[in-house]
Formats: sequence, structure tokens, C-alpha cells
Amino acid sequence: MFERFTRDKRARDETAIRLENISVRYRVPHERYATLKEHTIRLLQRRVQYDDFLALREVSMTMRRGEVVGIIGRNGAGKSTLLKVIGRVLRPTRGRVLIRGRVAPLLEFGAGFHPELTGRENIFLNGAILGFSRAQMQAKFDRIVDFAELRDFIDAPLRTYSSGMVARLGFAVATDIEPDVLIIDEVLSVGDAAFQLKSAERIQSFRATDATILLVSHNLASVEAMCDRAIWLERGQIVAEGAASSVVRQYRGDDTRAEAKRLAEITKPAPTQRWGTGRIEIVAVRLKNARGEAATIFETGEALILEMDYHAHDAVSSPIFGMAIHRQDGVQITGPNTAFAGLTLPTLEGKGTVTYTVPYLPLLEGLYQVSVAALNHNDTEMFDYHDRCYSFRVINSQNRIRERFGMLTLHGEWTYTHRPANSDVAFGN
Amino acid sequence: MRASNELVYDSARPRLAIWEDALELFRYRDLLWGLVQRDLTVRYKRSILGFLWTMLNPLLTMIVLTIVFSTLFRFEFQHFAVYLLSGLLLWNFFAQSTTQAIHNLLWAGSLVNKIYIPKPIFVVSALIVGLVNLMLALIPLALIMLISQHPFSPALFFLPIPIALVFMFALGVGLFVTTLAIFFVDVVDIYQVGLMILFYLSPIIYPLSILPERYLFFIRFNPMYYFLELFRQPIYDGTLPAAGLVGRAALLALSALLAGWWFFTKKADEFAYRV
Repeated sequence: MFERFTRDKRARDETAIRLENISVRYRVPHERYATLKEHTIRLLQRRVQYDDFLALREVSMTMRRGEVVGIIGRNGAGKSTLLKVIGRVLRPTRGRVLIRGRVAPLLEFGAGFHPELTGRENIFLNGAILGFSRAQMQAKFDRIVDFAELRDFIDAPLRTYSSGMVARLGFAVATDIEPDVLIIDEVLSVGDAAFQLKSAERIQSFRATDATILLVSHNLASVEAMCDRAIWLERGQIVAEGAASSVVRQYRGDDTRAEAKRLAEITKPAPTQRWGTGRIEIVAVRLKNARGEAATIFETGEALILEMDYHAHDAVSSPIFGMAIHRQDGVQITGPNTAFAGLTLPTLEGKGTVTYTVPYLPLLEGLYQVSVAALNHNDTEMFDYHDRCYSFRVINSQNRIRERFGMLTLHGEWTYTHRPANSDVAFGN
Repeated sequence: MRASNELVYDSARPRLAIWEDALELFRYRDLLWGLVQRDLTVRYKRSILGFLWTMLNPLLTMIVLTIVFSTLFRFEFQHFAVYLLSGLLLWNFFAQSTTQAIHNLLWAGSLVNKIYIPKPIFVVSALIVGLVNLMLALIPLALIMLISQHPFSPALFFLPIPIALVFMFALGVGLFVTTLAIFFVDVVDIYQVGLMILFYLSPIIYPLSILPERYLFFIRFNPMYYFLELFRQPIYDGTLPAAGLVGRAALLALSALLAGWWFFTKKADEFAYRV
């Protein structure tokens, strides 16, 4: 196999990474003893038991130089373990890893920085941590300092910098480190919006070079947009591999099916999520798609229909029915009701159904929760309230909506008027 | 033909761990130097006191102990200050650099989890920083020798040997306790207690002559005894240590280093999911 790693004039065809039947077994003590004292006691009692956990099983793959490969899969599928094996942080239990060139991860801002060192010293130390020699860093130094716009402060200790300055320096260092294989683990830095943006920028600027990029991400849209190829891992094994768009589509399909099943199972609210006087009871809540089928998965731009079956136990005059959509983190996105819409219901007694139709669902990909409510006409009595009991997921499998930022699309339209630079005449008119 | 500047990592290549690690340390010499520089800078560069402290600390300890021993306990001992300080310096090097090694690797934990870095580098850098401190601390020792009119013997030129041996020994111990510290949180505390016990068991602040005859036999089992003797004889007695003593110390140092290094490399691959 080693012959394949010889230098080739056609650099594009070179193999950058080759994994041959990689298995990684973690050996974890049955109970974890954090102290030596405890461990010794257990050891003397011969009571240390281990559990073996196979994080990767017989994984083989090849990456060519210059490729951008995304790794997707659920939590615990072995994605980060795979990155660690490639990044030389973990040695595989079995199998063989061959890597040509220098591997470096994209680090968080300022990882490895020391506050007492000057900006200059930190640049060199950070470079050295990533495996670059002093001479190599010397060549990059001016570019980094100029990019970070910190020339005047470069010999001051880092503790005197503002947090913005530290971030700029971290960014500049990370941007100028050009390994042959760049590893980006977005899963480890969830919630770090700056990191996500940075990784997107890095990938864009890297595509031009010959570097190989490995990206682990939960953001399927970005994997699809940025990667040439994708690998889908499940329980430590490769389930699918190939063109990013096709692997992502397969994964989404599988993910959606599994989730649809799970979400559909939740039909009754837990007692803690429900309150009200009960004069009107909401007995059933259904989400339906445009075709009138019960659904928990929706596409952005699709229709969403919410139906609530009610049971008014005694005559209630002009009650109000409402619903709310929350994002998973609790942010309320909308909260329409019949009163806002100017719909006055008559006095109700007995059973019926109230329907709320959304012709165009503007939400972008994500998991959302629905609350429903029935209350009296002047909002002084809550008859029944189901707090965030029903979930649905919005996906974007056909990529009809290309938007990726924020939580919704305004479904707006872009136009432009162009005024050529030297057309004073046009301005005059 | 593979271009020589092209790094190729092959996880299956048969490796002789110690040799491999030494090569990797050389490859990462800029990082090693960077870490040493960082620790020295943090300690010395921006504080004059930091520099003075390295010299003052053993001096103050020495003054206190000299007063305690020579006035309170009233035992007659010539140039006790020189005897005490020389032992104290060697001990401080050993205790401080091995402790620092633990802290270095724990600090590096989050990095080691993400990037490949030859891990012994954090222990070696702590040892080098300790060595620099030891060199600096030799200055106050020389001053004390001048003041107390202690003779400077040509045997002093032998000093690099005991320093090199104690460096090897401390490196071995450092690698060992660092590995334990990665796996168990209480090792830092246990090690401090262990160090304290060893300190009092070693002839540092007291001369061997105050020990009752029947205990003298046990001192042979204390590894620090050999290094202390090796280091002190040229300074205090002005004589070259006996070949037998040098041999025993060298054997101790070498076996500690090999054992520590072996233990470290054996467990190093597990670090990534323990730290």
C-alpha cells in the first residue's frame, strides 16, 4: 500500500488519507474511579471490571488531496473518534492509518494562548503547538499581524488586549495555518456561532489550495453546500459514502423516518404541560400536511394545518382558540388566535374542531414545538392549555429554499437597480 | 521516492517507543523551546522579583533552618549553610519540576485531545525549566560559599554529572506521576504528601551523622540519598564521589527514566479519552 503514497506529478490524484480497517475500542472501567485511592482499593479487592466499547468498526476509506469531505451521523456514531484517529490523537486499536502531510485541527479562538505572553510570543507558541517550526511561522508572522491589525500591540502581553483583539489574533493565526489536512469539528463547538462562521470561511478559502478538508457537522445544509463527498457513520460503521448531496439525502430520509415515528408517538400532553379549568377541553391535536395526511415533518414553504378537537362541557360563549410555535430553545416564534384573526365563535357546547391553516410555512430547518389553548372571550379564564406538547420538524430536503441563516424565510423578493460608475447622466435624470 | 519534507504518518509502522519519542521531541523542538520560554517568561520576564525569588526562596529557607538548627538544637556543624543550601537546591529542582510536569500536562489536556503533540514534551519542558532555575540558584550558593569562606574545590567541575543524573531520575519520576495524574485526580495531592515524607527522610536539612547507627542502613533505600551525596560531595567536602556511588546513582537514574518512559508511552494513547 505504501507505493501508492509516492509522489505523483499530478498532485490532484494523490491520496492524502487512507484508512484500512480501522477499529477503535475504548476500554472503560465499569464504574469510573476518579481517585487513585479508590482504584487501588478496588484493585486489591479484584473488583475492577472493564466495559469494551467499539467506537469504530472496520472503517476503510480514502481521501484524495484537495477533497472536502463531510462526516455526518447521529451523536455517538463515531464521527469525532474518526477525526481523532486521523488527527493522530488516538491510535486505532486495529487497522492502519496512512496520512501524507501535516494534519491540524481548526481550533477555537485563542486555544493555547497564554495571557502573560506577548502577542508575538503567542503567535509562535500557537504555531508550534500546531506543528510549525519557528522558521515557518517567521514567514507567516507579518501576514498574521497585519491581518489582525495588531502591529502596535504585538509586543504587549496578551492580558492587556481587549477580548476583541484576542479574538482577532486567534482568528488571524488560525487563518494563516495551512496544513495539508485540515480537520474541523463543528460538533465540539456547538453554539459557537463565530466558530461556525469561521469554519465556513476557512473552507471557502481552502478550496482554492491543495489542502484536504475533513468536516464533522450536524448542519446538513452546510455539509451539502461545502463538501464534495460525504460519509455517513452509524454505530462506528460507514453506512453510505459518495457525493455529498446524495449521502445527505439518504441520511435525511433515514433521519426523518426515524424522527417522524418518534414525534408521532407523542399525542397526549404530560400532566405538567397542561392546565386550565377544563370547561372546554382540547381532546386531540393533529398536524397535517397539504395533502391532509397527519405529519410531523414539514418542508419549508409547505402548507401546515393544525386541527384541534374540542369538547365544551357546558355552554361557553365566544371562546378563543389559539396556538403558538416555539423553537426548541424556548423562543416563541408566533402566537396567533381566533380573536386576533377577527373570528368570533358562537356559543359552543359539545364537540367540534378548530383548524388553523398555514399556507406557506416560513420556518427554516429545525425542531419546533406547538402549544394550543382554549380560553374565554376576554382572556380571563384559561379552559385548556397544552404547553409545547407537540413537536414537528422542518426540513429542506429538496433544497427549494436556499436560505441558511436565522430561523425563517420572509419569502421576500430581491430586485436591483444598477447605476454604472461613470454615468452622471443617469444620475442627472 | 518520497520527498523528505513530506511527513507521512503510518499508525501501523512498528515502532520502538522510546526512540520514536526522542525523534518526535526533536521534530517538535520549536514547541519544546516555546514551552520552556513561556514558563521562564511568565516567571521572570515581567517581574524582577520573580528572578530574585528563585534565589531568595532557598536562601530564606536556609537562613531559617540554619538558625533553628544551630541555635535551638545547638549542634556543631561547620558551614552548615553550605551543606543545607546545596541539598535544598537539588531537592527543589526534583520536587518542583516533577510537580510542574503534572500541571503542564493537565493544562495541555484540552489541546492534547484535539491535536497531535508528542506528549512527553510537556514533562521534558517542565524539567528544562527546573534545570534553568537550578542553574540560577547556584549563584546564591556560590555567594554563600564566598561569605562563609568555604573553599572552592576543583571537584566542582564534576557537578554536571550529578545534575545530569538527577535530571534523568526526575524525568523518569515526572513521566510516571504525570501518567498517574491523568488517570486519577487525587494524584497531585498524594504526590505532595509523598514528596514531603521523602524530604524528611532524605539528609537535606540534617546531616547523616545525627541519625542513630541502626537507621543508617535504611537510607540506602532512599534514591535521593545517592543524588544528594553525589551533588554535595564536590561542593561541601570538595572531593570527587567514589566510583561506586556514581555507578549506583547512574543505575538508579537510568532505570527510573526507562521505567517512567515505558509507563508513559504505554498509557499515552489512552490520554485522549481520559483528560
